[in-house]
Amino acid sequence: MAKVLILAEHDGKNLKEISFELLGIAHKVASGGPVKAVLLGEGVSELASKLAQRGASEVIHVEGPAVRHYTADGYRRALIPVLADESPDVVLIGHTPNGWDLAPLLAARFGAPAATGCSKIVLDNGKGRFTRKAFNGKFVHEIEIQSARPLIATVEKGASTPVEGAAPGTVRSVAASVAEGDLRTRHVDIKKAEASGLDLSQASIIVSAGRGIGAPEKLDVVRALAEALGGQLGASRAVTDAGWLPHEHQIGSSGVSVSPKLYVACGISGAIQHVVGMKSSSYIVAINKDADAPIFGVADVGVVGDLFEIVPALTKAVEEAKH
Amino acid sequence: MKCLVLVKHVPDSNSVFRLDSAGTWVDETNLSFTVNDFDRYALEELLKLKDAGTAQEVVALTVGPADAAAALRTCLATGADRAIHIKDEALAGSDPFVVARAIHAAIASEGFTLILGGLQAEDDNHTQVGGLVAGLLDWPFASAAVGLSLVDASTLRVDRELENNEIQVVDLTLPAVVTVQTGMNTPRYASLKGIMAAKKKPVATLALPDLGLAPKDVEAKLRTVSLAPPPKGKSAEILTGSPDEVAKALVSRIREKTGVL
Repeated sequence: MAKVLILAEHDGKNLKEISFELLGIAHKVASGGPVKAVLLGEGVSELASKLAQRGASEVIHVEGPAVRHYTADGYRRALIPVLADESPDVVLIGHTPNGWDLAPLLAARFGAPAATGCSKIVLDNGKGRFTRKAFNGKFVHEIEIQSARPLIATVEKGASTPVEGAAPGTVRSVAASVAEGDLRTRHVDIKKAEASGLDLSQASIIVSAGRGIGAPEKLDVVRALAEALGGQLGASRAVTDAGWLPHEHQIGSSGVSVSPKLYVACGISGAIQHVVGMKSSSYIVAINKDADAPIFGVADVGVVGDLFEIVPALTKAVEEAKH
Repeated sequence: MKCLVLVKHVPDSNSVFRLDSAGTWVDETNLSFTVNDFDRYALEELLKLKDAGTAQEVVALTVGPADAAAALRTCLATGADRAIHIKDEALAGSDPFVVARAIHAAIASEGFTLILGGLQAEDDNHTQVGGLVAGLLDWPFASAAVGLSLVDASTLRVDRELENNEIQVVDLTLPAVVTVQTGMNTPRYASLKGIMAAKKKPVATLALPDLGLAPKDVEAKLRTVSLAPPPKGKSAEILTGSPDEVAKALVSRIREKTGVL
């Protein structure tokens, strides 16, 4: 039995799905021990009540102007006294941009590293054993952390399902222990990344290029297949980072999530950040030179080989099939 | 202002990786190493500040074995002014907290205004050294930056990349630590002149006693149990044959399974 505390994430209007997934995995980790949630924000008491219906025995709702918007400094300073009071064995945070801020800041406070991007967590006599990924998803990395209390972990999206039919919990409101004027990180705005109007999220056919294309002029090979199939051109982060395609073509956790009828991945290794954005596609074709590429673990059908041979042949076969 | 970039010497992510005999890490013999990709963007951001006259000095720091000095030489050749190499046998098998602790000890009296690093290392993907250093220094921190600008002498504006194409704009009171995403700029390459100049730039090598730390201060709490290929769950049907043969087979699968074509 362990005491587990999860940090809920929300956008001021809705709870993020990761909050429910954290409650799901928290119950497994707690194995019968109490599972509580912390929700920080102003004017979000409805969200606190909702969270209390989804598997938290108590929701600690931290309110105050300093936590009206998410900031690393505001959240960190408001959370530390809550953690001191509650003294949990384990603190679970989403492996999200805000989790990347908070987990190490809290870990520093408690004098031990965090376990990040976890998909499975097992406690054994105060030791934590965590399953995560390393080398961008190429390997499963099992780690152990000892002599740390609380154990702080960030949990990968989709690692757990929400709790079904949970007993309703209670909500306790507390005032944030930090004043807005004392914050050293101040929220200015949330804005959309630049966009030209391309919206891949509704596309029914997507052909995507990855690092494997090697050079921007070689994109034409992939573009020709997209055109032959009547689909849109997508990309992994490597391609948009290099400036070979604008950001709005990027599919994945920091770009757009898609679920087309047909997804063709050309020269994409299948890093987790990309896969979360395309794995719900109905039918996935992968073409990659590396037989061990993780993309073959999510694809329905694959070809191991040189995309500059396979893709033009496929384009030709598609053109022929249309006649 | 005086700026620091935290860099890591990592295996080239395009390598074909094999596991070591213990099954706890990749076999690093015959792998080529490079500066962690995320860190290259962090360095470029500081070099831009230096070009603009905002940064007076850009220092590169790494924690790692003797070979890791190559990463520092790359940074110096690209434009960093000097380098700090934290190297000690007791740091082999260290964890992110231990690394951050060593960095903290090395820079406590340096008087940096801005510390940048990559969001994560391409090998272990821990995503925490920057935040741990910020936490130990008790400085403001922001992760996943895709844009940086100075609002005034004591305020740094950071565009943080969130999910679903959203960006949070946040102001940090300096001094601060920021980790950056890839793609935020176009990292420059070292020129021949830069490579020559780098040979004369100072590299300070610091061991634990230089940091006022003892081996017991850097005992790792995080330990790797195993590294293994991902389990074969749902696995793709792999087609084989000539390009034309697999193309025809793909077309028939696509037609049958998706109704496209």
